[in-house]
Amino acid sequence: MFRVKISNAKLLRDAITAISTLIDEGTFTVSPEGIKLRAMDPSRVAMVDFTMQKTAFDEYVADEETKICLNLSELLKLLKRAGRDEAVEIQLDENTGQFVITMRGKYVRTFRMPTLEASEDEVPTPKITFNAKVTLTTDGFRQSLEDVALVSDHVRMETDGEKMTMTARGDIMGANIELLKGSDALLSVEAKEPSKSTFPLSYLSEIVKAASATSDIVTLEFSTDMPIRLDFKQTYDGTLVYYLAPRIEVE
Amino acid sequence: MKASLRKRFVKKVKRRVPWVGHIVNDEKIAGDLNVPSHNVRIQAWEGSICLTCRGSRMLCGKPVCPAIVKLYSFIKTKKAADSNQMYGSSPPGIFVGRIGYPYVYAGPLVPPVLGDTSILDAPEQWLGKTFDEIIRFRTSLVRGKFRVNVKKPFQNRRFQEKTLEVALSKAPVYTEVAFKKKPSDKFFFDGTVQPMGPSAMLRKMNVGNFKTDSRIEKAYADGDLKAESAVLDLYLNGVPVSGIQRAFSVGAFGLKNERRMVPTRWSITAVDSTISRSLIENEVKGKPTINEYRVYEYSYLGNRFMVLLTPSSWKYEWIEAWYPGTVWNPAARDIAMGGDWEGYRGRTTYASIGGCYYAVRLAAAEFLAKERRQAGVIAMREIHPSFITPLGVWINRECVREAFRKDGERFDNLTDAMTHIGSRFALGLKHWVASSVLLKDALYQERLTKYL
Repeated sequence: MFRVKISNAKLLRDAITAISTLIDEGTFTVSPEGIKLRAMDPSRVAMVDFTMQKTAFDEYVADEETKICLNLSELLKLLKRAGRDEAVEIQLDENTGQFVITMRGKYVRTFRMPTLEASEDEVPTPKITFNAKVTLTTDGFRQSLEDVALVSDHVRMETDGEKMTMTARGDIMGANIELLKGSDALLSVEAKEPSKSTFPLSYLSEIVKAASATSDIVTLEFSTDMPIRLDFKQTYDGTLVYYLAPRIEVE
Repeated sequence: MKASLRKRFVKKVKRRVPWVGHIVNDEKIAGDLNVPSHNVRIQAWEGSICLTCRGSRMLCGKPVCPAIVKLYSFIKTKKAADSNQMYGSSPPGIFVGRIGYPYVYAGPLVPPVLGDTSILDAPEQWLGKTFDEIIRFRTSLVRGKFRVNVKKPFQNRRFQEKTLEVALSKAPVYTEVAFKKKPSDKFFFDGTVQPMGPSAMLRKMNVGNFKTDSRIEKAYADGDLKAESAVLDLYLNGVPVSGIQRAFSVGAFGLKNERRMVPTRWSITAVDSTISRSLIENEVKGKPTINEYRVYEYSYLGNRFMVLLTPSSWKYEWIEAWYPGTVWNPAARDIAMGGDWEGYRGRTTYASIGGCYYAVRLAAAEFLAKERRQAGVIAMREIHPSFITPLGVWINRECVREAFRKDGERFDNLTDAMTHIGSRFALGLKHWVASSVLLKDALYQERLTKYL
């Protein structure tokens, strides 16, 4: 049996939006401790690792571990109908296998949507030793990505422990952004050794855009020519972490 | 303006340049081109190199003069249709123009011959034909026109109903047309326009007995069936794309009150795009990916098509390379390249390169759907100067379909597959990589699977 209630529908909606930037169908694992989802996008370039502890909900009942697979865009359509102050109740109808969403506001609405066949394979997280760790405001990071997106479709991120630079080189234009220690956007920076790596903006911009609704602070961890880990600090008990594979151009 | 000045000006314009017969030095061409002036009026764009060249100096760099090839068949058709009325078996074919939209010229295409003319408007059967033949197919159709508001075709019911009958016919249909004036005798001496037959405004039109294609008729009769579903149903029932497109263009599909005529050029892309999108969503995505790299190839009329399939989720790219001396790249010394692409989630804007993008996407989606597999598709086309004149997007669709009908080469890794492509194309591999998003992605973008 699975039943939850959350009074802030926006929280749930933003989290699902953030997940749906990478995948169309998500398999959530529901356990007595909370909800989690870990999945890679169809191209296997990026991964989302999402958890929401039971304390994040107003009511949480789950007596055993089950997997629920849902079409995220359909789910979002329904969640978008919830108003600002409306509470959302979600439960799994075990007889029909349907997902039941109830919104209580001025009147009571109940939506039903089918669950899909859950994928059985567990996705492990990438095993990487990170040499650099940079904490930024999500907004500052998003702005810098918008800047570099003007000239190129990938960005090179570099840090030596003192500052963080983002460079992009297009066919005819270039962009260079420096975030120094002590600037408003850069909260902290540390590096065991100078690290630089290039990432595709098509993924990075989409991820940051979607996740910025849920979080004000993001921690980046990366090493030279290795995947990057983006940890968006959530306001509730839970995590929203992305991994993104680098682009290695042999010139 | 003073009277005297105006007079002198008029005189200047009237001076005729007896250019064709007198100036062309190649005797054969000169003889062929020396047509009686009342039959065909030859015009060229001001400043065009065709004026200097006149089909004999090969200034555009093509091995054959495209304008002359077109002129030959134009003269032939014109001779046969040099009157105020004509009859023939429509293949069946119709044409809806796009100029002046939503007030366009539409009407039937009628050749001046009777019999089985079905090949004249069925690009699916054209593959393997020569330039001369295809240009003849195109120019031998005389186009009757009437003006119509695409959203209110019933306002011109007299011609609209007849045109609709022609479009729904299963086999060539006897068609009688009377024109307000003789079909135009104007011929543009130019290599870049698609070959087209003469045209004239309709005065009267009659259609003989015909049988409709029951599948198309059913979609036509159903006023609650959306155009998109109609197109898909017909495609899945085996109606050729050109048949669907013809009925789509004449406004035979859609909700009863929403039906409208669609310019032929737009309808081709609309049908290609609708069918391929649905195939991709329903038949390709979610299927297992192929296990190796594959390369398919087909060459035709100075075009070399190469398609690379990569073992990944669905994505698609189309790149064209125009050699100097070809239609869209006449003057430059460099090779012009253009292309567009989409990722797994498709695209929301119209592909910058145009309708060929969607025509090839259909060929690729169709192949993967049949194989029940998913793959990344990078389709490339190299166009050499011997491709003398554009023929329409069908050539892309049919050539890529043909490439997929042959056994492709299989490779274990991307490097070998790319080397093979490089060895088949005249243009260096690095140019293809530089102008491709997906090739760069396949070469440089790492996957997380490597780190798990």
